[in-house]
Amino acid sequence: MSVIEVSRVSRHYHVRSGLRWWRRQEIQAVRDVSFHIDAGETFGLLGPNGAGKTTIIKMLTTLLLPTAGSARVLGFDVASQPGEIRRRVGYVFGGDRGLYDRLSALDNLRYFAELYGVPARAQRQRIAYVLDLVRLAGRERERVEGYSRGMRQRLHIARGLLHDPPVLFLDEPSIGIDPVGARELRATVSALADAGKTIVLTTHYMYEADELCDRIAILRDGSIVAEGSPADLKSRVSEGEVVEAVVHSLPADAIARIQELAGVRSVTVRDLDRAQVLLVQTKPAAQLAAEIAGCLRGTAIQSLSVRAPTLEDAYVELVGGT
Amino acid sequence: MNSLRILVIGGLTTYRALFNWVSPWILVPSLLVMPLAQILLFSYIGRSAGIESDTFFVVGNAVQYSALPCLLGTASTVVGERLQRTLGIVLASPAPRLALVIGRTLPVMLNGLAVSVFGLVAGSVLLGLPVRPATLGLATLAIAVSVFGCTGLGLVSAAVGLRLRDIAVLSTILFGILLLCSGADIPRPALPGWLAAAGDWLPLAHGIAAARSVAAGGGIGGVGGDLAAEALLGLGYGMAGVLMLRLLERRSRSAGALDLT
Repeated sequence: MSVIEVSRVSRHYHVRSGLRWWRRQEIQAVRDVSFHIDAGETFGLLGPNGAGKTTIIKMLTTLLLPTAGSARVLGFDVASQPGEIRRRVGYVFGGDRGLYDRLSALDNLRYFAELYGVPARAQRQRIAYVLDLVRLAGRERERVEGYSRGMRQRLHIARGLLHDPPVLFLDEPSIGIDPVGARELRATVSALADAGKTIVLTTHYMYEADELCDRIAILRDGSIVAEGSPADLKSRVSEGEVVEAVVHSLPADAIARIQELAGVRSVTVRDLDRAQVLLVQTKPAAQLAAEIAGCLRGTAIQSLSVRAPTLEDAYVELVGGT
Repeated sequence: MNSLRILVIGGLTTYRALFNWVSPWILVPSLLVMPLAQILLFSYIGRSAGIESDTFFVVGNAVQYSALPCLLGTASTVVGERLQRTLGIVLASPAPRLALVIGRTLPVMLNGLAVSVFGLVAGSVLLGLPVRPATLGLATLAIAVSVFGCTGLGLVSAAVGLRLRDIAVLSTILFGILLLCSGADIPRPALPGWLAAAGDWLPLAHGIAAARSVAAGGGIGGVGGDLAAEALLGLGYGMAGVLMLRLLERRSRSAGALDLT
């Protein structure tokens, strides 16, 4: 049974630019997006910045209206029944936003318990439960301003669970968290999924999506460019291989030469601090490592390796491949 | 029941969370020392210029200074949600909006009342004026109504500030306009006609007039008109503020008018 149904949803904004305020520009944030999410499923929305992930979450949590199409959460229409949806979903931000720094974690939770209509008699028990669930019990009387990012993020999740919603929206929950904190967060999300919550997760981290999500939709420029299980998405590129080179001062004509090689599916360049990572996805049995090295003649090559594709490669090919 | 809890508990919580001045280091100099300084400044100017009595300036400035916590406090507890980036979470909640907004004004009004009563009593003591309990009781009523009026205007300023973000500048400008138009330091008949007329349609002028009348020994019967006018202004501004906030929330859903990230 579908808990979330999104049917041909679009959303555009008007922004004003320049000193002449009447110069309006239309930004198409989400274009004709459709998907469904079943009960108990963990569904990932992946895509680069500006791909439309947060806009979709905002529409599903009733903060924004779709400009076209329709969406239903737990059978309620996001446009005409916002109150019904708000009572039944939890919305968790990532990053430093969304908490009252000057208050203790306990006061934050008490306040949001009021906003979400948790009965006064049940509040103490519920707050103790969610604090325990996110491993913040014992630290609840400290001011949030003294919390680490990982603790804040876990407190966000506790806040989102106060009213025991069957559906949870997690918008980049692991952004800016150290690896240990991120691992703890994944364990928490995994436990929630095991408890039967339907989870919609946006993230930039492939390993996170790979570990947590039953299905993933990859977004580019507001549209879904691929949808399926992590295994499905990986299989799209698994028949080839990836040549990965770390280089310095990569000339543009080298990229053009590599793109022209027979058997190349996509070429992507990612900038590091002092180097660039060149990712070349090739067709099966193309064995292009030597030819690619030839195209890079005259360029300082730090390393060059050939490996099997990962989910990240599938993602890169779908959203950034050229 | 939930609305009542949001009104009281929610209001107090957001006041603690979002009003930057809830700290002794800021609250004492800003809301206790500064109003006294303003009262003494204008009283001594009045004495040296030989115009009006000390009571005129003590009452006028004590009531007028409530505008600062009322305007800034109300705006802070609304606009602060945007600055703290909690606005999206609050708007995504099913909480009843009227209770959510009105609750924020209750601690603000108590603060404004305390600041004005303190200014009135401390200013009177410092300038050697008598403080009679019966007069103080009626003056407190006039102050309470003035505080209600100012808080209503504070809601309008909060709605504007939610779009513009800068609440300190807006609140300071309004504070200055109220200082000028309310007759706190200039007898209203001495004001140019347009300024006096503006004062009629802004909070405080009627409240200050009522408080002065009470301080001069007048009874409640003589100030009923001024108190009613002040209360109506507060109600009008308050309703306008609530409607503007509701409209902004709707515009935010349809046009993305508020930054909810």
